[in-house]
Amino acid sequence: MEYQSLREIEMYPVRDLSYDFLGIHFENPFILAAAPSTDNLDMVRRAFEMGWAGAILKTTSVEGTRVDLTYPMMSTFDHEGRKLFGMGNIDLISEHHIDTVEYNVRMLKKEFPEKMVAASIMAGRKEDWQSLVERLENAGADLIECSFSCPQGNIGEDPGKMLAQSVSATELTARWVRDAATKIPVSIKITPHVTDIVEIARAVKRSGCHALTASNSIQALMGIDIRSFAPYPSLGGKSTYSGMTGPAIKPITLRTIAEIARNVDIPILGTGGASTWSDAVEFMAVGAGVVEFCTVVMHYGFRVIDDLKSGMSHYLDEMKFSSPVAIVGKALPNIVMHDDLPRRTVRSHINEKLCIACDLCYVACRDGGHMAIDQQSSKVPYVDRERCVGCGLCQHVCPVDGCIEMRVAV
Amino acid sequence: MQCFDAPCTAACPTHIDVPKFISMIKSNNVIGAAEVVKTSNALANTCGKICPEEVFCQSVCTRGKQDSPIWIRELHFFATQYEKDNGFSATKVFPKSKKTVAVVGAGPAGLGCAFELAKLGHRVDVYDGRIPGGVPRNSIPSFRLAVRELESDTKFLSGFFKLKAQAVDKKGFEQIRTSHGATFLAVGLGQDRMLGIPGEKLKGVIPVLKFLEKAKANSTSMKIGKRVVVVGGGNVSLDAAATAKRLGAESVTLIYRRSEKEMRVWRSELEEARKQGVEIRFLVNPLSIVGKTNVEGIKCRRTRLSKRKDRSGRPIPVEVKGSNFVVEADSVVIAIGQTIEAEWLGSVERPKGGYVKVGKDFQTSVPGVFAGGDMIAGEGTIVQSVAHGKYAAHAIHEYLTAM
Repeated sequence: MEYQSLREIEMYPVRDLSYDFLGIHFENPFILAAAPSTDNLDMVRRAFEMGWAGAILKTTSVEGTRVDLTYPMMSTFDHEGRKLFGMGNIDLISEHHIDTVEYNVRMLKKEFPEKMVAASIMAGRKEDWQSLVERLENAGADLIECSFSCPQGNIGEDPGKMLAQSVSATELTARWVRDAATKIPVSIKITPHVTDIVEIARAVKRSGCHALTASNSIQALMGIDIRSFAPYPSLGGKSTYSGMTGPAIKPITLRTIAEIARNVDIPILGTGGASTWSDAVEFMAVGAGVVEFCTVVMHYGFRVIDDLKSGMSHYLDEMKFSSPVAIVGKALPNIVMHDDLPRRTVRSHINEKLCIACDLCYVACRDGGHMAIDQQSSKVPYVDRERCVGCGLCQHVCPVDGCIEMRVAV
Repeated sequence: MQCFDAPCTAACPTHIDVPKFISMIKSNNVIGAAEVVKTSNALANTCGKICPEEVFCQSVCTRGKQDSPIWIRELHFFATQYEKDNGFSATKVFPKSKKTVAVVGAGPAGLGCAFELAKLGHRVDVYDGRIPGGVPRNSIPSFRLAVRELESDTKFLSGFFKLKAQAVDKKGFEQIRTSHGATFLAVGLGQDRMLGIPGEKLKGVIPVLKFLEKAKANSTSMKIGKRVVVVGGGNVSLDAAATAKRLGAESVTLIYRRSEKEMRVWRSELEEARKQGVEIRFLVNPLSIVGKTNVEGIKCRRTRLSKRKDRSGRPIPVEVKGSNFVVEADSVVIAIGQTIEAEWLGSVERPKGGYVKVGKDFQTSVPGVFAGGDMIAGEGTIVQSVAHGKYAAHAIHEYLTAM
């Protein structure tokens, strides 16, 4: 027997992260978004075995829908030596026939009855939307997600424009799917590319659909080769706009979820830029009931679930929360309009013991602030309290955690 | 980096999942990271402090092919120290078997085995006449491993077995062996090897283990004089030389019969000794220790390396006629290796009186008696001993389950 290849014996108790949301039981708040990672039965099986609570299978459509993929389809936004700060894709929906997706739903529910298996759909005509809902509901899906927001445009009358950019089209189409779904909840996946996200969310609410998925990728031009002038991803020198995902879009998604949750009473599946357990906590704190992951999985693999679960467990212990549900909406009361913000006098304070005298705060304040920080040769910079307005720029350029803080002036 | 099937994990004798714990540090789940480390390595803080990463994880780091390796050991130590400082994570309730196992020796191998057996559900008695910790506790110099770092492991581990503060003799061994379902031997190498040259009985000649143990236990009362000579060429001799310097010796000379290339040492330790001001004289063989009652010096002869190689594959040094000289010394530390101190081992087979012979399952020639650590492999690293203990525990578990 090879003793060296033995599996480790678990020595720490596994914390229960399960709860109910939309009438569905979730083992934990972490599910896979509709994407390449959920387009293959074996891949989803592996993800489930590793501990993912559920998966939304890659978007499918009715028979005969042309899925005209072109390659390469991926490109990235790398920042200061870090890979994949953002990821762009010009992918479309699944190439699988609806029969295959239906079969995958059936197989997964049979093999993993405790997991949440959802299907994502996209169509044009009313009867197509409705037949997709019926077929997948009958196959045993726990939830239907409707993509109203593919950045490559929707199939239908107005290609190039997203369904969820029109309040009336959103409401009308959402009603079709709502009417077809008899047993299971439906969630509408929307785009942040709108003038007023609340209007769209209200339209979904009016349709009677059960939930919103907020939100899809951000339309982006991923970059330009500055010598050949080919945009990325370059397909023989040509390219188009991508849908950008990954850490770079997290703040945009957070705002989208928060703004919906503050104004419309509707359950939200959070997605778009979450990579870690603490990102998930943030998504939930502004109103998401569960969190969908995609780009981090495409970067590092399904194994990231280990840290998601471990990190969330330790966080709940630390916060003395009994369940992840306790996080949902926790930050919402703290998000207010600009007029309602506290108005206090604050000043920058540099901790002399922590300061490493790099003078980054000095140069930032001199050229981007209020010329309120003085350089003292080889010593800690000095804040001129008369000139400092307390903008906080210095605090954020400081490379040392906790060195600069904004203190309320007395 | 987050490499998949990472070479660092394969290179670690205890196979710590390095990419996993580093990803957890990155996400600010430091406790989770420590738990990953401790799941694989029972002596997590000790190894985090002094594991020779230059031969294990870091030496094979994929990142090293691109620029420089990730500081894996430092990250490991950061995580486990953080967990220690914030209170050890509660462990789960392990299954309970009715089997008992005796572990003889509370060093890295013994502790590694005892903890793994506890995880497998067995009741474990650990026998050691001294404070638990073995070599890391008693003879690794404080400047490399402080007692508190070792204790951050032993404190955690002590809740998982019964510690019996007794040294084991022949009668005791028989009694322990027959009263437990299985026995794991891990007493290490407790006996200093001597040179067998004239003058070794003189006052001021100190075997290296005694020297290091005394220095660690009570360095202030130690009198070693101004000039110290250390004879040897391994890591332990470097520890002794650096310790002598720290104890206040004005000159410390290490004499080694071969050249630097043949030294079997961690380069970081060699650098440390040199930084301390230790003079290393290569190609020197000791002939006798001179003095009346106290050591006054050590008579040596130069050597040169012959073309013939010994069993270790290193060239055999031969003495150069007429090259005798004396190095003056107030103390001479003999650090040429250790052997098992174990007349009590009885019928446990030790080929040529050397290390204990074990099979792939760590079982000795006596059924139900297993062994690991330096006893079976000679002077090794802490992490290798922990791994022996850990994997032997699974073999013991199999043995007990089959019974």
